[in-house]
Parts: sequence; C-alpha cells; structure tokens
Amino acid sequence: MKSLPLAFLAAALAGAPSARAAETPPAGSPAPAAKPSPHASLMDGYQGPATCEKCHAGVARAFLDTVHWKHASKVTNVDGLDPKVEYGMKNRIYTFCNGNDVVNDLKQIPQNSLGKTKITGCNACHPGNHLQDVGSTGKEAESAIDCLICHSSKYDLSKRKPFKTPDGRFAIGQDRSVEAAAAVGKPGVKNCMSCHESAGGGQLIKRGFAFDAEHDVHAKKDMTCVDCHEAKGHKIPTGFDPNNWANDGLRLSCAGCHGEKPHNDADYDAHTARIACQTCHIPTTGGAVAKDFTRWTKDEATGFWEPTTIRRDPASTRPVYAWFNGSVENTPHRIGPKGSRQDAKSRITPFKLYQGRAFYDAKSGKLLSMDFAPPTATGDTLAGVASAARTLGIKDYKPVPGWQTIYFANSHLVTKEKALSCDRCHVADGVLPFEQLGYPKAEIEKRKLRSAELWFDRLSAKERKKDDF
Amino acid sequence: MNKLAATALSLAAVVTLAIATPARAEDKILGVVASIQLASDGNSAVAVLKDSKAGTSVPIAVEDKVTLDKFKDHRISVGDEIKCKYEKQGDKNVATFFKKPGGC
Repeated sequence: MKSLPLAFLAAALAGAPSARAAETPPAGSPAPAAKPSPHASLMDGYQGPATCEKCHAGVARAFLDTVHWKHASKVTNVDGLDPKVEYGMKNRIYTFCNGNDVVNDLKQIPQNSLGKTKITGCNACHPGNHLQDVGSTGKEAESAIDCLICHSSKYDLSKRKPFKTPDGRFAIGQDRSVEAAAAVGKPGVKNCMSCHESAGGGQLIKRGFAFDAEHDVHAKKDMTCVDCHEAKGHKIPTGFDPNNWANDGLRLSCAGCHGEKPHNDADYDAHTARIACQTCHIPTTGGAVAKDFTRWTKDEATGFWEPTTIRRDPASTRPVYAWFNGSVENTPHRIGPKGSRQDAKSRITPFKLYQGRAFYDAKSGKLLSMDFAPPTATGDTLAGVASAARTLGIKDYKPVPGWQTIYFANSHLVTKEKALSCDRCHVADGVLPFEQLGYPKAEIEKRKLRSAELWFDRLSAKERKKDDF
Repeated sequence: MNKLAATALSLAAVVTLAIATPARAEDKILGVVASIQLASDGNSAVAVLKDSKAGTSVPIAVEDKVTLDKFKDHRISVGDEIKCKYEKQGDKNVATFFKKPGGC
C-alpha cells in the first residue's frame, strides 16, 4: 500500500477545512448545477464489460491476468513448487477444501436420499459465468467478466445463481441490469464478502473474520476491504499467509499505512522489529479449526452431506505463535510458516491452527483430492476421491486417511482497545511461549521476560496519566 | 428451627416457580421462501416459508439486522430453501434462526 505523508493523510481523513470550503458555495448564491454522474450513459443500457470499456479501455483484458480471474499465480515463497507452474484455488490439493476448480468443477450433484439435487462447485465463486471459466482467455472471456459483482452497490445477488443451459452446460447468472450498472463505484465490504465471507463451506468458516464494527477497528471507522487491499490495475495486494499461495505480486502490510514505529510509546515501538503487529493487535481468531473429508455428516433436513467441520465463532479462539519470514514450509502433513529467531527477517506472528483429515495415497504419500459431487449426495467419500483421480488421470493409488496441519495467517479482527499489553505476555504462563520461540530459560530469567518488574512501573504511570484530570 | 427453614425454602421455591417466565417452545422448519415482505422502515420483514415436509405455508417475522440485510440485497430471495427456528410470540412466529443450509 502506498505510504502518504502523514499530514496529508490526516487532513484527507479529517476532511481538511480547505477542501470543504471549496465545495461550499458562498451564501446567497444559486445552488450549483448537479454534476452529471460519470455513469449516466449506463441508463441507456448495460452490455457487460463492453459498456465499461467505453471509458475504461483495456481493463477487461488486464483483469484476465489477475488472481480473481485465474484463481492461480506463480508462487515464489512456498517450498517444493515448480516455479513455472501457477498454483491456487484452481488446482491446489490440501485439506482445507480438498476440492479445487478442476476436480470440483461446477456440476449437478446426483439426487440425494430425499430426491434433492443442486448445482454447485468450487468455481461458483468466480467473476465469470462458468461458460468462460477460471483462467479462460480471449474476447469471449473478456465479455463474460462480471464487473458489477464487485463494483455495484445495488447488485441483485439472487441473479448470481448456477443454472443449466439449454445445451446442457452449467452457467452462473449475472445481474446486468441498468439499476445495478448505474450504482457502480469502488467495491464495498459486501461486494467482497459475497464470496470471501463464505469460502470453505459457509459463512465465517475459513477465517472467522466478521469484518464489522464489533470485531474490527478498521470496520468501526467505516473502512472497506479495498482501503487496505487497494488494487492497482485490478491486482490486489495481499499479506503473506502460509495458507494463501496465489497472489497478484503485490504485497501489503500494516506498516504501509501505520509506519514502522506507529505507537506513541517507545517501549511498544521497540517490539515492532521482531513482533508482528498482528501478535498484539489480533489476540483472537476463529472459524473452522478442523474438518474431516474422510467422513462427511448428513444434514437430515436437506438430505445433503458435508465435510464434518468443527466451527468456532469469530474472535473465540486463541492463535498460536511462530516465527515467520514470509516463506512457507509445504509438506503433505504440514503447511506452515518458516522462520526463526536467528533470521532477522522473521517476526513472531499469530496463526490460526487448523487440522484437516483427508485421503492420502499410501503408495506415493501424496495427498489426494476430492470431487464433492458424490459425497454431497450420498456421503461416499471414496467415490469423490475416485472421481477426482479420474479427472487428474491418477490410476494407481491406495487411499488412506491422514491429517494435515495448516497455519492460517491471522490478519483481520484488529483491535486497539483489546490489544495485548505488557502484562499479557511478560508473565508466567503468558500469551507467548518464550522457550518454544527460541528463548533459553537462562535468558528469560536474566532479562526478566516473565517478570512484572519489566512493566509494572511503566504501566502504572500510564494508568495514572489516564485517570489524571 | 429446621422445620421453619424448610418451610421458608419451600415457600420461596413455590413463589419462584409461580412468577418465573415460562420457557418459550421453539419450532423449526425447513422450507422454501414463497414471499418476503419488507416493512417500509426496513427494520422488520415477514417471510412466508412453504414447509418442505407438511406443504403448509408459515409466515415468519424476521427482526435481526443480518437477515434483513440479506433480504435487501437478495442474498436470500424467493425460491431459496431456508432452515428456520422460530418462537411463538403472541400471534407472531418470530425467527431466532434463519439461514440457507451451508455447503460449498
């Protein structure tokens, strides 16, 4: 995220008097004529990206090269990957989803025990229409982009449903109404959450981050996702996350807006070199903590099955802490942060710990993936494995259950008021496991890392200052 | 004294039971949304669900902000299958849980 001179940023956020004065006409003068909306021409009709391209030329073509369209990218910070191959939701095999766009392509689920069926798949969350699918290119792909799902504040989400075309293909509807088109602007939180809130099988499953005023200080200040994830040419900056591999090549961090020494407190600022901002400012986590793809659970009401999931509410669980330098260990049974105290680039960072059980190939040791259609209908998980294996051309395999641990970055649900203070970590049995993080017992004692002597006087001085009137 | 204490305790228990608010029974329904009527102020709605088992239509009063928001942007709309729990409050069935079944 670009860093702005603080004075300018503060003025912009506060609404500098000079900017306001320019907008207010002198008293007694006639009201200025309303400026025509730049999107007024849309009232004549909206034909999809072709209409947007009248002013935003070239954007559709550029969008096809983003992670939102491709669901994949080259990945340079994860062990064991082919640098020439692109990875992401399109093709990853891991245990948070266990399906992907390839093996769990949008399709009709077979009828379940109640005679019900539905059309579903991983790539239902894609800003295309499925006829032009994940990673497709060319003019038809450009025409299929659903600009309004992200950019319209009046998008009718009921139109974004999968359906079967007369020629038997599966498509996803879009709202291309004039009403939706006339309400375009920067994406709001709801635009992003229409997909990102429900990743992994339902609301708040994946990260458990409820981006609302109750849970996040940025949401409380009416900030939106794109205020931090500010796109450049539709490429979205993201942080480093052992679980999220695909990226648009742009990175963001708290320091991008807040600077490296953001506290009015030298003691807190002294921590920022080795402690990630999230460690103190996101002391909780939430979302699913475990899933079992080898045994699905039947919803007796609907007759559909789903992976057995252990859910936790937003901000209801404690993260684990590890050194993280941005690079990722990737093995069949662990996807997690790399780093150490000795590595100057590493910082102690919080993670949501997740355990997933899925089928591994006993012959190769590799994790297998799953087509969700058969088990969604009948609970037959091995049928799902077999279907995925057929899609991928895997013939010789022996499925056995196994566990994988995944570390999820914990970068939302930011708090200022409930941030960790000295007395949370520098105590016996405090938040941080110092020994595990590479601090020998002797050093802990010598530096009093678990002693109130380290912080008592400073914290009490702060509290006296707060109470002083 | 013991007899006195026991009598006092029994009396207290009887009084407590007499004035305690009875727990409201909660019903549940899996149904398809047949209609959604938003109040003009947007602070409540009545959704009619057609019970998938019984085939009857059940009007449900919805008052929670999250669900009302989903009505407004059509994340929930006519034709959607809904799991609903509700309590009878006077002549209204007030939703305590109103969600689409989960799953990818």
